[in-house]
Amino acid sequence: MSEVILEAVDIEFSYPDGTNALRRVNLQVKKGEKLAILGSNGAGKSTLFLHFNGIYRPNSGSIKYRGQDVSYDKKALIELRKKVGIVFQDPDSQLFSASVWQDISFGPLNLELAEEVVMDRVQQAMLDTETTDLKDKPTHLLSYGQKKRVSIAGVLAMEPEVIIFDEPTAWLDPRHAREFMELLEKLSQKGKTIIISTHDVDLAYVWSDRIAVMHSGEIIANGEPGEVFLQPELIKRADLVLPWLLEMHGVLVQKGWLSPAIPLPKTREDLFSSIAARSERKLSAL
Amino acid sequence: MINLDAYAYSNALKIVHPAEKLSFAMITLVVCLASPTVITPLIVLALMAGGIIIKAGIPGRFFVKLMLVPLTFLLVSVLTIAFSISPSPAGFWLAHNVGGLTLGIRFPDLITAVHIFIKSLGAVSCLYFLALTTPITEIITVLGKMRVPVIITELMVLIYRFIFVFMEIATTIRRAQSSRLGYISKKSSFRSLSWLFSALFGKVFLKSNELFDTMTSRCYTGEIKVLAKKYPVSLKNYLVLTMLEIPLVLLNLLGR
Repeated sequence: MSEVILEAVDIEFSYPDGTNALRRVNLQVKKGEKLAILGSNGAGKSTLFLHFNGIYRPNSGSIKYRGQDVSYDKKALIELRKKVGIVFQDPDSQLFSASVWQDISFGPLNLELAEEVVMDRVQQAMLDTETTDLKDKPTHLLSYGQKKRVSIAGVLAMEPEVIIFDEPTAWLDPRHAREFMELLEKLSQKGKTIIISTHDVDLAYVWSDRIAVMHSGEIIANGEPGEVFLQPELIKRADLVLPWLLEMHGVLVQKGWLSPAIPLPKTREDLFSSIAARSERKLSAL
Repeated sequence: MINLDAYAYSNALKIVHPAEKLSFAMITLVVCLASPTVITPLIVLALMAGGIIIKAGIPGRFFVKLMLVPLTFLLVSVLTIAFSISPSPAGFWLAHNVGGLTLGIRFPDLITAVHIFIKSLGAVSCLYFLALTTPITEIITVLGKMRVPVIITELMVLIYRFIFVFMEIATTIRRAQSSRLGYISKKSSFRSLSWLFSALFGKVFLKSNELFDTMTSRCYTGEIKVLAKKYPVSLKNYLVLTMLEIPLVLLNLLGR
């Protein structure tokens, strides 16, 4: 679990227009972990992701994959992109073909696999994302949630070790967001390393093993969810809010309903079960 | 146009191999255009109407509506062929004298006009058959197999996909403009439309950059490789195709 698979070392990056997008960013991603990158819009999350895939090259600093500096020659880039996949936020910028089937096959075919292998992978990716029924539909007749799932299938079919999701639940309705989280859980159990960017603090707190907080191009905090959210001034600086679980927990402790010794709740069930009924009799009267 | 595209994915002939549909439409188109008489185009029209309505299960009303689309255009061009103006009244079949000039129809011109009219309708029906039964993506795959240069087929893939993306963006912008009364008068309509175009133009650049990044991240190195869908090849369909085309070709030869 502790092996570092992907690493950003002292990354500095500015866009041609002078925007300083990343400032000395250091981040280690461990194999098999669930990492959430929190930050408001424009904090530099997407820019960092494009570095992890070799699309952007840092002005200084380096990206390491399994301890090796990424050299930006063609072969090394293909190798990196094979191992690290990105699902972009807007499926309309990712789906280039009007055919669901063709779009999903694009990535694995670029890996120069045999056609039968590609076909198996496409089918498996469609099963995993529940898009098999959409096979014969054109992408422009799909709903947003369906497009999103197809674009995920397109990355899964490449079987990367690290999968990066840029704002995966933005614009998804609660049901699709929940189904997406279930898919993430499945992938995680298969041993994939998963990075998501989000500004949904509740989701990040519940789902992740580790949280990195970004603010105007810098990583200002990095640690276990509980640790990160126990620093209120930091959360405020990053323009974020506390997850409702922690906020509620805090209030209950403060008002004496919960003992301060109770560990931070990780799920809503944790929180609810720690709240004792006032008395058995009153409860049954309700 | 959107409906036409949607039918291509949902019609009853969608399981038929695209190459079979493409050759049927194209061979019939050539036979129709090469015909010296109006009989072959009329048969072609009937054949395609049958194929579209009965075989592919497209509503007849929709097909008739589609056939009406090129009609105006066709009538205008055919009328210019039929009518002529001449200083001498000789050779006119129907004529009217206007200040020393004769305006009217010469009989051979009328025949040519009618021929062109019916031939065009027949040819259009062939193209509609293809458009209504075969998704563009499948046609592109067949073109690729026919060794059409990759640059053309790849452009077709991207253009087809992004027609819909940009149409959606344009619709959204237009809606946003209308909701703020952007199209309330002629003047504001022109202004809003020009803004819509410049906004769309900006988006096109943005989207193409994004697309390049997303494709690069999936190991794109300059060639779009995709997996072709497998369709069963039907010998029967090719036989039917041959049996239909032979009489038409013979009819063409007899009419010479």
